Amino acid sequence: MTTVIVAGLGLFLGPIGLPDRYILLNVRLPRVLLGLLVGCGLAGSGTVFQGILRNPLADPFILGTSSAATVGVLVANLLGWHNYYALYFMALGFALSSIAFVYRIAQTHGKAPIQTMVLGGVIVSLFFNAVVFVFFSIFYRDSFTILFYLLGTLTGGDPKLMVISGAFILLSLAVCWAMSRELNGLTQGEETAFHLGIEVETAKKILFVAASAMAAASVAVAGMIGFVGLVVPHMMRLIVGPDHRWLIPASALGGASVLVLTDSAARTVVPPLEIPVGALTALLGVPYFLYLLKQRQDAGEF
Amino acid sequence: MLRLEQLSFSYRTRPVLQDITLEIPRQSFLALIGPNGSGKTTLLRLMSKVLQPSAGKILLEDKPLSRFSARELARRMAVIASDQHFEFPFSVVDVVAMGRFPHLNRLQRLSSQDWEIVDQALRLTCVDHLRLRPISQLSSGEKQRVLIARAIAQQPSILMLDEPNSHLDINHQIAVFNLLRSLNRQHRMTLIIVLHDLTSAAAFSQTIALLHERRLIKTGSPREVITSELIRQTYGAEVEVFPSPLGGFPQVAYGPDG
Repeated sequence: MTTVIVAGLGLFLGPIGLPDRYILLNVRLPRVLLGLLVGCGLAGSGTVFQGILRNPLADPFILGTSSAATVGVLVANLLGWHNYYALYFMALGFALSSIAFVYRIAQTHGKAPIQTMVLGGVIVSLFFNAVVFVFFSIFYRDSFTILFYLLGTLTGGDPKLMVISGAFILLSLAVCWAMSRELNGLTQGEETAFHLGIEVETAKKILFVAASAMAAASVAVAGMIGFVGLVVPHMMRLIVGPDHRWLIPASALGGASVLVLTDSAARTVVPPLEIPVGALTALLGVPYFLYLLKQRQDAGEF
Repeated sequence: MLRLEQLSFSYRTRPVLQDITLEIPRQSFLALIGPNGSGKTTLLRLMSKVLQPSAGKILLEDKPLSRFSARELARRMAVIASDQHFEFPFSVVDVVAMGRFPHLNRLQRLSSQDWEIVDQALRLTCVDHLRLRPISQLSSGEKQRVLIARAIAQQPSILMLDEPNSHLDINHQIAVFNLLRSLNRQHRMTLIIVLHDLTSAAAFSQTIALLHERRLIKTGSPREVITSELIRQTYGAEVEVFPSPLGGFPQVAYGPDG
């Protein structure tokens, strides 16, 4: 319900009065649809990562998955692959290998403590961001579009890529929802999950792939938009509780609303200019991340 | 019902358990004791298929443990590991309902019969009044009872616990052990418990298996295993063992040197 209202708001909110029909249908509508999809994908991905890793601080941006996917997109672009599937699978491939790498370096005695995972994510992000800058300064130095893309934006979404990404996001979301019971079990610890009858390794693999697929799809169409995947699942957990059967759909809708709303703000606060929405989510998300970190520290969990 | 045959386990090249042979009949109450590093927790993890043996075999109902799927196993055995973390605020009733997972198909919801089983488990462990509280806010004693309730909801024939009394005050320890005893007696569950504390092992278990330096050195009734000689020899501690005034079971006593 809220999502519908927000989507409507996103459509009509503009710098100058009521927009005309052309802008509404050809500029705003795709943008709002894209916002809904990407918000859904990012929050869905964050929810699942948080569940598998048993940590409310995980999200595809912090774990470096988003920057890896970005490099995937740029590599596909540089190779001149204009096939959308190739582009998408390149992003997914990079995302998956980075999360596998982070997971491996963090893993000790069969566990992956979140502190080391976050640290691993930061290292991977720094590395891939460096790669992005190298690519940018060699190949795209004059491209403002690419710069905007890198910062995360909902403008200029290619309709065909949107359809493909949207399909992957919704499909992965459905898979994760169907596995909510496994996710609930995994939040109790991997050994406990096994003792509750869950084939832990299989479940984890499927969920990691699905979560990365959502993140990669979001990145492929909208670049690096951070913190939606961190903040939204956390807020939704306060509202609907930790059961993934409710949490996944709630986060998907919540993420969609939050992103459309933030994007509306991003293009209306400094008219007629606009801020990349990724920059705005980071500005809003970082304090929230710090607050969560502090709260856990006070609870003696680090 | 559970049989270990010449079981060995090495962690990389370091041997942890060697040549363990043990028969655990239906409805036993077995305590695994031994000094730190003797391999008792490892043995429990082998019996619950968290670890795979390097040599030897484990048979459950005459079938190798390795042939059971996670789900088949979870319908037969419930396991409560020693360190439990609750990162997410699941309510007590949610946690106990997780015990029904191995009995449900994907997307199948809990039936009224499942809820009945969950309610019974909550009542049996006296945590019914806490059902809507987030588990992360409970005391250690209450948490332990909730985990036992979850295990009961699994309707297993075997229940394994790793040091269920480790962070509990004595009143909670006694409550937990009495609960376990009634599960063993009235509900005919086989209990396998790793214990640090010799007093409770002697007071509540039927059989004790004593591990020392990777080997099983003695299995028998509390009176046969908890003796001054064996405890001195394995734990290297100056202790005396007396018959408890509360019953025939042995009790370990110690004091300052000299």
